[in-house]
Amino acid sequence: MASSAPILRPLSCWKALLRQSRQQKMCIRCMATAQTPVKKLRPPPPLPSSFPSPYKLTHKGHEPAKKIKTYPPPPSARNKFPTPLVDWTAQHLKDIDPTGSRTRLFAKDNKDAPQPGDILLVTFKTGDPFSGVCLSIRRRGVDTGILLRNRLMMTGVEMWVKIYSPNVTAIEVVKRAEKRARRARLYYMRKPKHDRGSVEGEVEEYLKKRRLIRSGALGIKDPTMSTKRPESSRSGVKAR
Amino acid sequence: MASKACHSCLQLPPPFLLPRAAFGLVPKRGIKSISTPRETRFTRGKGLPQLEASTAAALERKWYTTPLRTGGLGTKKGMSAVYNTETGRRQACTIVQMDRVQVVAHKTRQRNGYYAVQVGSGWKHPSNVTRPELGHYAGHGVSPKRHLVEFKVRDEQGLLGIGETIGASWFQEGQYVDARANSRGMGFAGGMKRHGFKGQGASHGVSLTHRSMGSSGQSQGGGSRVLPGKKMPGRMGGHQVTTQNVKVVKVDEEKGIVVLNGCIPGPDGCLVKLSDAIKKPWPEIPMVTSDAQAVAEPLRETT
Repeated sequence: MASSAPILRPLSCWKALLRQSRQQKMCIRCMATAQTPVKKLRPPPPLPSSFPSPYKLTHKGHEPAKKIKTYPPPPSARNKFPTPLVDWTAQHLKDIDPTGSRTRLFAKDNKDAPQPGDILLVTFKTGDPFSGVCLSIRRRGVDTGILLRNRLMMTGVEMWVKIYSPNVTAIEVVKRAEKRARRARLYYMRKPKHDRGSVEGEVEEYLKKRRLIRSGALGIKDPTMSTKRPESSRSGVKAR
Repeated sequence: MASKACHSCLQLPPPFLLPRAAFGLVPKRGIKSISTPRETRFTRGKGLPQLEASTAAALERKWYTTPLRTGGLGTKKGMSAVYNTETGRRQACTIVQMDRVQVVAHKTRQRNGYYAVQVGSGWKHPSNVTRPELGHYAGHGVSPKRHLVEFKVRDEQGLLGIGETIGASWFQEGQYVDARANSRGMGFAGGMKRHGFKGQGASHGVSLTHRSMGSSGQSQGGGSRVLPGKKMPGRMGGHQVTTQNVKVVKVDEEKGIVVLNGCIPGPDGCLVKLSDAIKKPWPEIPMVTSDAQAVAEPLRETT
């Protein structure tokens, strides 16, 4: 069995072959790595300092970068008109409120300006006039508006009125608040405890008085023309 | 056969043992979308329909909705209102300012596969621009731009000349535009805010999960997995949003202002891309800017 194995296994000769080649390889390696005397080279003589290095001249990294041409920008609308929103608002207000009366009526520095708590009467181009207690004034440029609250047909009604709306023909102060409100927004008046209720009575009284003043029966100057805040709680500041 | 000669001279194994590539009979493999379709006797010949997966077919499909002319770039400045003095109606409006908008480059069908106009706006200091980009601007004779945007156009007639300025008067009062901008970023938002999920009850034993998304799917029977595309909490906003058919209320060429009706996406100060509305008839406006108006004639809708 043992003697016939190498013949039966043809690959068994590989072992002998590989062993031989390994020995040969070792011989070759020995020949190649045999030490030879190394010839020492002298370093080149240093160049004179005045002579620029040729390496520096040819190496691209040391060259200054080629300058790329840049073109000037065209004239800028943004730099000339940096606040287009403000400009637009001012221009539009000039168009819709040419006299500036509405702006003045609700200006913050106007002492006679309506304040939260006052009863206001707004008349419209179309539809019935609306009156109510002013709950808040929202100053937002073109979007400036007032919130009025009244009670109509036993129901509390609120209405935002945009003061610059072309539909609004007039805003009149029917009655000033007896005491200055200590809040900017009187939303607490929506609660039953603080609800003012209907202001129709005050408005009727105001309209009656206005009619009399306009007819000249009382011999008083039209209070709508006055610019001062009257001492009495009743007044009439109006903007058309 | 070439492999036969090789066999004789180089003592290679018989051909059936060689890799199949040596035969030249192996079908060419590649990525379907970029390699051209193989020519067979079925694909050859005249009168065959255009391949639907080709660029030409895609452009043809989009032909009807591709704008005739380029759009413009603007900055959202804020919102205001306009009163119609006749009807008394109040209209909310958005003010967009266009600043130094110029055509920077063209994309053509021959070179890029489609027609488009590269438009830039604003200005950037050259020291803040990389050299390759600076070269791009210099090559076209345009100053470095803060923003660069491409507007696709239907054909070469829509390629506005390089360097031409697109002012506010590029748009006409009364025309409709599509406004594109990156929406306000909301950060990482929950399911209720991001997708309008209902959340869970405030009481009835719900504990600490009042705003959570709930279940993300069935267990066994539903595949025991989360289906792709399941709406979940994640980053919200900050992506491009288009508002279609926005009416141009007013145009001020001097101030570079375009006043649009209503609201448009994005916070104040964001970049807004304005282009002719694709769902309205194309406006009858000259396809060139005011500087070059004498040269070219107005182009109108051909259909």
